[in-house]
Amino acid sequence: MDERNSEKMSQMITIDLNGQQQPLPPGSTVIDLLSIIGSNGKSVAVVINDHIIRPENRPLHLLQEGDRVELLIFAGGG
Amino acid sequence: MDSLQIGSYAFSSRLILGTGKFSNATVMVEAVRASGAQLVTVALRRFNREQAEDDLFGPLSAIEGITLMPNTSGASTAAEAVRAAHIARELSGSPFIKVEIHPNPQHLMPDPIETYEASRILAKEGFLVMPYIAADPVLAKRLEEVGCASVMPLGSAIGSGQGLATSEMLNIIIRESGIPVIVDAGLRSPSEAAHAMEMGCEAVLVNSAVAVAGNPPAMAEAFAEAVAAGRKAFRAGLMQKSGFAVATSPLTSFLGTR
Repeated sequence: MDERNSEKMSQMITIDLNGQQQPLPPGSTVIDLLSIIGSNGKSVAVVINDHIIRPENRPLHLLQEGDRVELLIFAGGG
Repeated sequence: MDSLQIGSYAFSSRLILGTGKFSNATVMVEAVRASGAQLVTVALRRFNREQAEDDLFGPLSAIEGITLMPNTSGASTAAEAVRAAHIARELSGSPFIKVEIHPNPQHLMPDPIETYEASRILAKEGFLVMPYIAADPVLAKRLEEVGCASVMPLGSAIGSGQGLATSEMLNIIIRESGIPVIVDAGLRSPSEAAHAMEMGCEAVLVNSAVAVAGNPPAMAEAFAEAVAAGRKAFRAGLMQKSGFAVATSPLTSFLGTR
């Protein structure tokens, strides 16, 4: 890793995304996160630290270091 | 019109279809359409970008006239089920919730205590609560008393295909219940669904029997016809059983007799 990348990484924050560590640029919103993972967000429920983040609040909700983020979808079930 | 009433909702179809175990989303959608089901169950799962095809929101949105009934499968306590219900409502926009709490994957029998507690809380919050329960008439009545919209006793273990093994208890639940009784789980064949409807169930919930059939859409259609026939028979009034033969043809004044 060159010096510039290393500096960039050190500026990143880390969140817990569905049980896995996910680095993010500081100042990322929920919408940014969804776009990084390739979701339009329409079919995904977002829960941060046990609070549901409704679609209208996602563009403004900033992710913080250590946030526990759960993304949930509807899958097949009886 | 004879419709299934749950809360303020009225459904002309009395077949509720689950969406698990289908080989793919296309077959699932074809089966839902063929079934005519208007209430369709889904499960809540973590998003996984490597398995984007698991997301059924898109495929189900393309089907007109269905209402989603998310389940709380995966929850093993009332608190987990309540949390799942809140998240599911965000996605479904539907007040229906199937409370399903089975802590033991070996038999998948529902936990009556956690189910009761979750149902009580969610009914109070305004959900249309549809608890999946063992065929226990006492528990069914208690769930009715706390405001559940229906009760869904099992015919036999989930996915077992053992049919209406609990029919004796189901009969008591149906007789005693002031809310719709929906047989959920264990049905294998359309004739079993017809039988449940003839007993007076208001609807049946089927998943595995359709999803793993050789031709799921055709089986979905067969279940729909059986459910409609069973309901019609129930409304028409079945004859009483007799321990003795009762002749249908005249037994006197035959040839050569007096």
